[in-house]
Amino acid sequence: MALVQQIQLQTGGSGARDGARRITGSPALRTIGRRLLAAIPVLIGVTFLTFAVMSTLPNTTAQAILGLNATPSAVRALNQSLGLNQPFLERYWHWLVNVLHGNLGTSIEGASVNHELAIHVPTTLGLLLYALVVSVVLAIIVATLAARRPNGIADRISLAVSMLGLSTAPYAFAFLLIIIFAVKLQWFPVLSGPVNSPASFFRNLTLPAASIGFGLFAIYTRLLRADLVEQMQREDYIVTAKAKGVAPWRVLIRHALRNSMFNLITVIGLNLGGLVGAAAIIETIFQVQGIGNDLLTGISNHDEPLVEGIVLVFALVTVLGNLLADLAYAVLDPRIRYGSSTS
Amino acid sequence: MAAPLPEVQLATAAPPPLPSLVNARQLRAQRLGRALRLWVPAGIIILILAMCFLLPLVTTLPSSTNGNIIYNNEAPFSPGHWLGTNVQGVDIFSQLVYGGQVAFEVAVSVTAIGIVIGGTLGVVAGYFGGWVDAVLSRVLDVLIAFPALVLALVIAEGLGPSEIHTIWALSVFGIPAVGRITRGATLTIRGLPYMTAARLAGTRSWRMIARHILPNIMPIIVTFSLLGIGVVIILEGALDFLGYGIPAPTASWGNMIANGQQILSAQPEYVLIPSIALLITVASLNMLGDALRERWGTQ
Repeated sequence: MALVQQIQLQTGGSGARDGARRITGSPALRTIGRRLLAAIPVLIGVTFLTFAVMSTLPNTTAQAILGLNATPSAVRALNQSLGLNQPFLERYWHWLVNVLHGNLGTSIEGASVNHELAIHVPTTLGLLLYALVVSVVLAIIVATLAARRPNGIADRISLAVSMLGLSTAPYAFAFLLIIIFAVKLQWFPVLSGPVNSPASFFRNLTLPAASIGFGLFAIYTRLLRADLVEQMQREDYIVTAKAKGVAPWRVLIRHALRNSMFNLITVIGLNLGGLVGAAAIIETIFQVQGIGNDLLTGISNHDEPLVEGIVLVFALVTVLGNLLADLAYAVLDPRIRYGSSTS
Repeated sequence: MAAPLPEVQLATAAPPPLPSLVNARQLRAQRLGRALRLWVPAGIIILILAMCFLLPLVTTLPSSTNGNIIYNNEAPFSPGHWLGTNVQGVDIFSQLVYGGQVAFEVAVSVTAIGIVIGGTLGVVAGYFGGWVDAVLSRVLDVLIAFPALVLALVIAEGLGPSEIHTIWALSVFGIPAVGRITRGATLTIRGLPYMTAARLAGTRSWRMIARHILPNIMPIIVTFSLLGIGVVIILEGALDFLGYGIPAPTASWGNMIANGQQILSAQPEYVLIPSIALLITVASLNMLGDALRERWGTQ
C-alpha cells in the first residue's frame, strides 16, 4: 500500500502545482469533457434514428386530436398548423432546436412531454436503481462466497442459481413472483399503485425490481465469480499477499475483489441501454406509472414527441452511465490517470 | 533434405514422466464431468428440436390454433391432451410444439442475420482499422445505444405483426452485439505473429480474413450465438407477450403466456407451462455455450 500511495503522490502532485491551470488542465475534467463531446453524435444519431423510424408510422395525430368524425379538411388544417405536413428533416430540425431550448413538445394527448417525463422519469429511475443496487450488492456477496472455495458447495449453488437467472425470461419470472408473493402470500399488490413515499416505493416496486434484478444478478455473479477465481489462481500479487500471511478472505476482498470490480463496472455501464426493454415490459405487467409503460403507449398511439422524449432520456442515462463507469475506474484504480499517456 | 536428427536430441525428446499431482480417479471424474456438462444440454436441445420439428411429422397432434370449447380447461394428463387444454379448448402440448417451432425459426434466423451482417461489419472494422473502423464503430455505437425495443415495436406497429417482421425487428438486437464481439476478437488476432507472417508472405486481405481470421474467431462466434439464440427466444416471447410479435391465433410461447396471464390467479399453470418450456430451452442453450467455451478456452 505504501508504494501505491507514493506513486499516487508522484503522479498526482504535478497537476496541483499551478492554481490557474488546475481546472482546465485537470486530466479527469478534460476526459469528461471529451467524453461528453463524443456522446453528442451518438445522441443525435439515436434521436434521428428514432425520428426516422417513428415517421414511417402513419400520421394519426390530427385524427386523434379531432376525433373520428373530423372532416378531412379539418385534419389537413390541423396538420398544417401543427407543422406535421412538413418534410421529415425539417421536423427533426425543429424538434432538435426545441429540445435545445428545453422544450420536448406536446404529446398526442395534449400534455406537455416535459411535464409527463417529470412525473414518470423518477419512478422508472427509482425502479431501475433499486433493481441495479440490490442485484450488484447481492452479486458481490454471492460471488465472493463462491470464489472462496471454487467447486465448493457455495460455488455450485451460486452457479446453479445464476444459470437459472440467466435463462429465465423476466416476464415469466414476474408472473411467478405475482403468483407467490401477490396472490398466495399477499405481501405485495399485483398492480403497483402510485409511488409517493418510501413505504409505497418498496411496497409497489419490490416485485418489479426483483423481476428486472434477477437476470442482472445472474449476469453480474457469473462475471464476478469467474474473474475472482481467475485472479486468485493466476495473479502474482495474490501469491505475494498469501505468502506474507494475509488472511484468505482478506486477500479475496481487499486484493482480488477490488480488481475484479473493473469488469463488473464496465458490464453494468454497457447493460444500462438494455434496461429500457426490461423496464417497458415489467412496467406493463405491473402497471407501474413509469416511462417504460409510456413508451409502449406512445408507440401504439404513434405519439412521436413522447417516444422521442423517452428515447432521449434513456440514451442520456446510457451515456452518463458509461461515463460514470469510466470515472469509477479512476477511483478504484490508482494507476489510471486520465489524459496521461498510460490510459 | 532434412538431415537425420542426432542421437542426443532424440534422447531428450521424451522427458521422464512428472510425478502426478492428481490421482487417476479424480482425473476420470473430471473428464466425466466435462463430458456430462457438454452432452446433457446438447441432448436436451436435440430432444426439444426433435419434439418441435419431427414429432408433428410422425404423429398427428391436435390443432394448435383451434379447439373444441366442449373440452376446455381440461387438466393435465387427461385423455388425448396430456398437458390439458386451455380456456378455448386448444391442446396445450400442441401449442408448445408449434410455439417451439416458431421460437427456433425466429431465433436461428435472427442469429444468422446477426452473424452475417454484424460479423462482416465487425471483422472489416477490426481488420482494416483506421477510418473504416472509426466509421463502423460509430455506427455500432449508435445501434447499441439505440433502444432496439423501440425499433422492434415500431416495425411491428407499422408493418403489422408477423413472423418475418418479428425476425427483422429482433435482428436490430443481434447485429450490433455480434459486430462488437467480432470486432474485438479480430483486433486481438490481428496483432499475432502468424498474421504478420502471412502478410509478409504476400497474402491478400480477403484471404487473410477467410483463412486466418474467420477460423480463429469461429469458437467465439459459435459460443456467442448459442447465448444469442437463448436471448432471442426470450425476446421473441416478450414481443409476442406485448402483442407485437407472432399474431394471435398462431401458437407461440409468448402468446401462451399472454393468454394465460388473464387467468393467472385462478390457473397459474397456463403461464407456468410455457415459462418452464422457455426456461429449459434457454438454460440448455446457455449450458451448452458454457461447456463449449470451457472446451475451446474462449472467453
